[in-house]
Amino acid sequence: MKTLILGFDSFDPAVFEQMAGQNLLPNLEKFIEHGGYSRLEVCSPPQTEVSWTSIATGTDPGGHGIFDFVHRDPVTYAPFVSILPTKKGIAGEQFVPPYTAKTFFEEAAALGYPATALWWPAMFPARSELPVMTLPGLGTPDIRGQLGVGALFTSENETKPKTIVVKMEGAAKNRFTASLPGPQTAGRDGPRTISLPIAVDVLDDRSVRLTVDKTQIRLSLGEWSEIIELKFRAGMLFNIHAITRFIATSLSGAVRIYALPLQIHPAHSTWHYSSSGSFAKNLWNEVGPYLTLGWPQDTTGLEEGCITDNQFLDLCEKIFERRIQILFHLMKNFHEGVLASIFDDLDRVQHMFFHNRMDVVQDWYKRLDRFVGDVSARVDEWSGKYRYLILSDHGFSDFRNKIHLNRWLLENNYISMKNGGSDLTGVDWNRTKAYAVGLNSVYLNITGREGQGIVQANQIEGILSELNEKLSGWKDSHGSSIVQKIRLKHETYSGPYTRFGPDLVVGYASGYRGSAETGLGKIPATVIEQNTDHWGADHCMDADVVPGVIFANRDLRDFGALSFRDIPFLAIGKHLDQSHLKPPSQATGEGQKDLEERLKGLGYL
Amino acid sequence: MMMKMLAEGGLSVVTDELRSADDDNPNGYFELEAVKRMSAGNVAWFADAEGKVVKVISALLEYLPSKFSYKIIFMEREIKEILASQLKMLTHRNETSRADEAEIEAQFRKHLEIVKPWLVRQPNMKILFVSYNKMLSEAAPLCEKILEFLGAPLDVSRMKAVPRRDLYRNRKDRV
Repeated sequence: MKTLILGFDSFDPAVFEQMAGQNLLPNLEKFIEHGGYSRLEVCSPPQTEVSWTSIATGTDPGGHGIFDFVHRDPVTYAPFVSILPTKKGIAGEQFVPPYTAKTFFEEAAALGYPATALWWPAMFPARSELPVMTLPGLGTPDIRGQLGVGALFTSENETKPKTIVVKMEGAAKNRFTASLPGPQTAGRDGPRTISLPIAVDVLDDRSVRLTVDKTQIRLSLGEWSEIIELKFRAGMLFNIHAITRFIATSLSGAVRIYALPLQIHPAHSTWHYSSSGSFAKNLWNEVGPYLTLGWPQDTTGLEEGCITDNQFLDLCEKIFERRIQILFHLMKNFHEGVLASIFDDLDRVQHMFFHNRMDVVQDWYKRLDRFVGDVSARVDEWSGKYRYLILSDHGFSDFRNKIHLNRWLLENNYISMKNGGSDLTGVDWNRTKAYAVGLNSVYLNITGREGQGIVQANQIEGILSELNEKLSGWKDSHGSSIVQKIRLKHETYSGPYTRFGPDLVVGYASGYRGSAETGLGKIPATVIEQNTDHWGADHCMDADVVPGVIFANRDLRDFGALSFRDIPFLAIGKHLDQSHLKPPSQATGEGQKDLEERLKGLGYL
Repeated sequence: MMMKMLAEGGLSVVTDELRSADDDNPNGYFELEAVKRMSAGNVAWFADAEGKVVKVISALLEYLPSKFSYKIIFMEREIKEILASQLKMLTHRNETSRADEAEIEAQFRKHLEIVKPWLVRQPNMKILFVSYNKMLSEAAPLCEKILEFLGAPLDVSRMKAVPRRDLYRNRKDRV
C-alpha cells in the first residue's frame, strides 16, 4: 500500500470548474482527462472538523460524535467547544481526544503500514497509544489552552473586541516597554498570569528593535518576524515554552506591534501535541520552525484591524510554504503506507475574500494548482501501484446574512423567556420546546434528556415535523428560501453517538448562515442581520450547497456519486468496521451510580 | 416471563443457561452472559443471533450494534414491585443493598425517562411496550399484539398459559 492524500480545506467545485474551463488550473485539469475528478458529497453539517473527521472515519457524526463546532451540556444547556473536550483526572483538567472512532490511518497502521496525518483537524491531543504519526490541525489550542487570540502592543489608548490589547509605556525617547501576557498557572491566591518584559526601540520610521525577555529581534515595518521561541518561568524548575511571530504595523505617530497567539512549542510541549513526540521535534530540527495553532492564519487579527489584508495573506503564504517543505521532507522517505496532509490556507482566505476579492481567491486556487504540479512531478517518479488523492471537506458560499435562530424560535413560540435576557440563561425552560446551540443545530427540550425538559416522547415527532415545515418554508423579503434543507437526526445519522446529536440540522441556503451568537446560544434582538464583517463568506450551510471535490489517479466514474463514506476505501482499499465503538453510557454520572451498583449486584451488569 | 412466553410460542432463544431457574425465577432466566460484555465491544455472538430472541436489560440497549435491526419488546412493571423483587433476589444472593431505596427508585425513573425517548427514535429499532402487570390479567389480547408486532407464526395458546399468578410474588402490597 502506498497512498498520498492532499487535503485542500474548502476547495470549491464551482470555482474549480469555472477556472478549469478557462485552463487556469492545468495541473488539476489533468485529472479530469482520465475521469479522476468528481464532486464529493460531504457530511452534514459541512463544518471543517465534522467533515474531515467523517472523511477519516467513513462515518457520519452519529459514528464519531462531533456534530458541530459547539455542543451543549443537556443538563445545564451550557455550550462548549466540541473539538477541545477536557476531563478531570488525577493531574487536574486534561484535554482528551474528541473522538475514538477508527480512522483509515489506524487501519493502515493495523495492517502493518506506516501512517502519517499532518494538520488533520480534531487530532489534538495526540493519541500516543496509536501507531499513527500526527501533527494536529484545527482544534489545537494555544499555550493558554484556548483556540487563540493575538496581542496588540500599542502606544495609544485603544480596545479590541477579542484581541489582547497592551498599552506600552514610554520609557525614553523612542523607547516603549510593556509586558507580554503568557500562560496562567495556579498561584496561592488563584490563577496567575506569567508575563515576559518587552521593550520596543523605534530605530526609524521603517524599523524597530524588539526585545522580549532576553531575545532581541529587528522588525521591519509591515513584515513578519521569523518564528520566535519564548520561555515563561512557571516555577523553580518548570518553564512553559511558546512560539509566536511579531509584526510592526505602525511606527509613524502611533507605535503598534502585534504578536500572533502564543502557540505550543512542538519540541517542548507540556501537552500531547504530536504522535510521536519526537516526530514533531525532528521536523522542527530538520525542516525548520513551524506554527502549531489549529487556526494559525490569524483571521481575528485581520478582522479587528490589527493586521492588513496583505499582512494576513503574507502570513498565509509563510504557513503554506513551511507545510509544503515539511511534506516534501517526509515524501523523500515515503516508500509505503499512508501520508496525508491538510492545507487550510484557502479556507481562511475564502472566509476573508470570497465575497469581494475573487482575484485574491483565484490566486490561491492557482497557487494550489502549482503545488499540485510540484507534487505530481514527484509522484510521477514512483514505480508500482499507488493511490494519489486530492480532496476537500466542503466548498464555499456567500454569507450575506446572519441568522439569529434563537430569536426566530422565540418569535415562533418555541422559546419562552423568564424576564427578557439575551441568551439561554434567561430562558424559561418550563415553557420552551426547542433551542439552538451551534451553527446548524437545534435541540428539542426533551423530558429526561434536558435538565428541565418538557417535551414528552410522544410529542417529539409532531414538533420536529412542525419545525421542519416552518423552517423549510421560511423566505426572505425577496421570496428566496433562507433554509435549503432541514435534516432530522434519525434520518441523517447512524451510529452509537446519534442520540447525542442535535434533533434537527438546519441546512441554510447560499447567502445565509447561523450567527456566531446562535453558535453560543445567544438571542440577539433581530432574526436576520446583514453581514458586514470581513468574514463575508462561509460553508456552514446545507451540505448540498457546498459539496467538496475529489481528484484521484484512477477513474472515479466507476463509483457513481462519491461521498465522504467512500474515502477510507479509496485511501486504503477497505471500508472501516466501527462496530468496536463503545458509546458513552446513558447513565448521568454520579446520579446513576447506585442504580449501576444495584444492577451489578443482581448479576445484570 | 416474556422470555418463557416467546420460547413457548416457538421462537429460538439465545441463552447460555449459566443462570438456572431458582426460587426467584422458577421459569428460568433465559440469559446470555455475553450480553453484559457488549459495552466492551464484545458483539461477535450477534452473528448467530439473527432471527432469535435475546434478553437485554434496558441499561444495555444502547450497546446493541447499530448495524443490525431489532424488534424490542420492552417490559414495563410497577417500579416498587421491581425494587421489591430485586431486594428479595439480593437476599437470596447474600448481597446487601447499601443504597437508599427511594434514591434507587428515583434513579430508575430517571433512567426510564432517558431510555424510552431514545429508543423510540432509533431508526433500527421497533419497540412494543408491554405491561408486565397487565400481562398477568389480560394475556390473550397482549399476546395477539406481540404476534402482530413480531410478524411470526407463534403458538399463542402456549404463550398465554405462561403468565401464572404464582409468579406474581413481589407485588408492592406484600412489601
